[in-house]
Amino acid sequence: MTYPAIEINHLRKGFGSGRKKNQALSNLSLSIQPGEVFGFLGPNGAGKSTTIKLLLHFLKPDHGSLHILGKAVGQEEFRHRIGYLSEFPVFYDHLTAGETLLLSGRLSGMTRQAIDQRIPMLLERMNLTEAADRRVGGFSKGMKQRLGMANALVHDPAVLIFDEPMSGLDPVGRHQIKGLIAELKQEGKTIFFSSHILSDIEALCDRIGIIHKGVLLYSGGLRDFLVAGVGLEESFVQIIEEADRASFA
Amino acid sequence: MQALRKIWFLALSTCTEGIRHRALWAIVCMAALLTMANLGVTTLYSWDLGKVSVEFGLSAVAFTGLLLVFFLGMKILADDLERSRIFMLLSRPVSIWQYLTGKFIGLAMILLLATIILGLSAALSMRYVLWLYAAFVPPDFSWLTCVMALVCQWLSLVVVLALSVLCFSFARQPFVALLLAVSSYLVGQNMELLRRVVVENPQAGALAGQEQLVVALSWIFPNLSLFDKKYEAAYGMAFSGQEFVLLCLYAISYSALLLYLATLLFRRKELA
Repeated sequence: MTYPAIEINHLRKGFGSGRKKNQALSNLSLSIQPGEVFGFLGPNGAGKSTTIKLLLHFLKPDHGSLHILGKAVGQEEFRHRIGYLSEFPVFYDHLTAGETLLLSGRLSGMTRQAIDQRIPMLLERMNLTEAADRRVGGFSKGMKQRLGMANALVHDPAVLIFDEPMSGLDPVGRHQIKGLIAELKQEGKTIFFSSHILSDIEALCDRIGIIHKGVLLYSGGLRDFLVAGVGLEESFVQIIEEADRASFA
Repeated sequence: MQALRKIWFLALSTCTEGIRHRALWAIVCMAALLTMANLGVTTLYSWDLGKVSVEFGLSAVAFTGLLLVFFLGMKILADDLERSRIFMLLSRPVSIWQYLTGKFIGLAMILLLATIILGLSAALSMRYVLWLYAAFVPPDFSWLTCVMALVCQWLSLVVVLALSVLCFSFARQPFVALLLAVSSYLVGQNMELLRRVVVENPQAGALAGQEQLVVALSWIFPNLSLFDKKYEAAYGMAFSGQEFVLLCLYAISYSALLLYLATLLFRRKELA
């Protein structure tokens, strides 16, 4: 039996309590099939990062369920099959890039031999070979992002979850990460990534989900979303404005 | 087995991170200078120079250990949460208890290394003072007792570290965790004295008649004064192997209990 790579059912999450409670997600349901590249779009504060943190069980849902490759998040172990890149990857400043990947590989249950083969390959793929023995504290934002990507891939996971992977990168850095996501797509990995950079979504994704103020406004094929003759940006702004108008009415 | 290996890798990386931290070496250098100041301080006294030297040396080590726990140890723990570094670790198949235990062991290893370096530095200065003023060497003075006193100090730091991990597991702000840990340390250091005053003295002021409450509190807070063996080392007093083993068992079991509680509390925490 094949399970969806990621399945979210009727997810609700709020922060705070009483009158100050802020509903971050309302009844969110999504299903992402294996091998898909799914772009999760939304303005700032829409609930993208909250959804990702719920997927990784950093946060606990108020209601609803999450499954990754058929495993219930928070009840069964699934983390050896996912790779995660946060919006601002933070590592131990005094460990080198090689040591950082070694730690991640070891924590993912890899053998030393497998890690020793994998690390040089990943560092080369991310253009970090020369920085392998340098401490991460001295890395630029782009280097940290690429190290974060290598860190997410070290144990060759089936599902990749990226939170704003191109945020804050210069055009060269963005180009590199985009190229890498395209390569991973070719390798048949399932990729779930949040972004508000629409051109990246347009170039990489099979399907998209649009979220605004915690409510899923659209989930489906990218082509189906685009109105003939109108780009993603216009269609995206239109759907957000319609949602705002509906909420004020 | 796999769980123990993960704990070991976390401990090793925490220890490596701490050892390469400038703050560690700044504190250790300052403390080494402090133990060397032993040479000057003892000359200010005209009697019991040997005892002063031993107590001063061991006190310098204890003071430095506390600085390491409260500033370096808690900074490493707080940075994990504040800078979202914890996401890198917990997005792997690592449970909360493995994470906390790994961090705790890594920090305890840093404390052990610092205690060894400072212990050697203190021992050198003590050796020099005892050689210079041979007439003041305490009767029955034993280096073995000094080493055992030093180990007891490290054990006491390990208990304070476990207390810090517990405070860190439920406090929302690192500063609050630091305040709670320092307060618990002060209570733990003086609890035994308070218990004895209240139990043995019926005229114990506001706490008179509250013996049971004080005894109960003395069971909750760690009895850190038990680990203070500076007096025994300085005066060459008997310090049995049995007492030493019991202290080791007390430190290990109390720390394990605190880590267990920390795990329960941390599981309820949301890593937003």
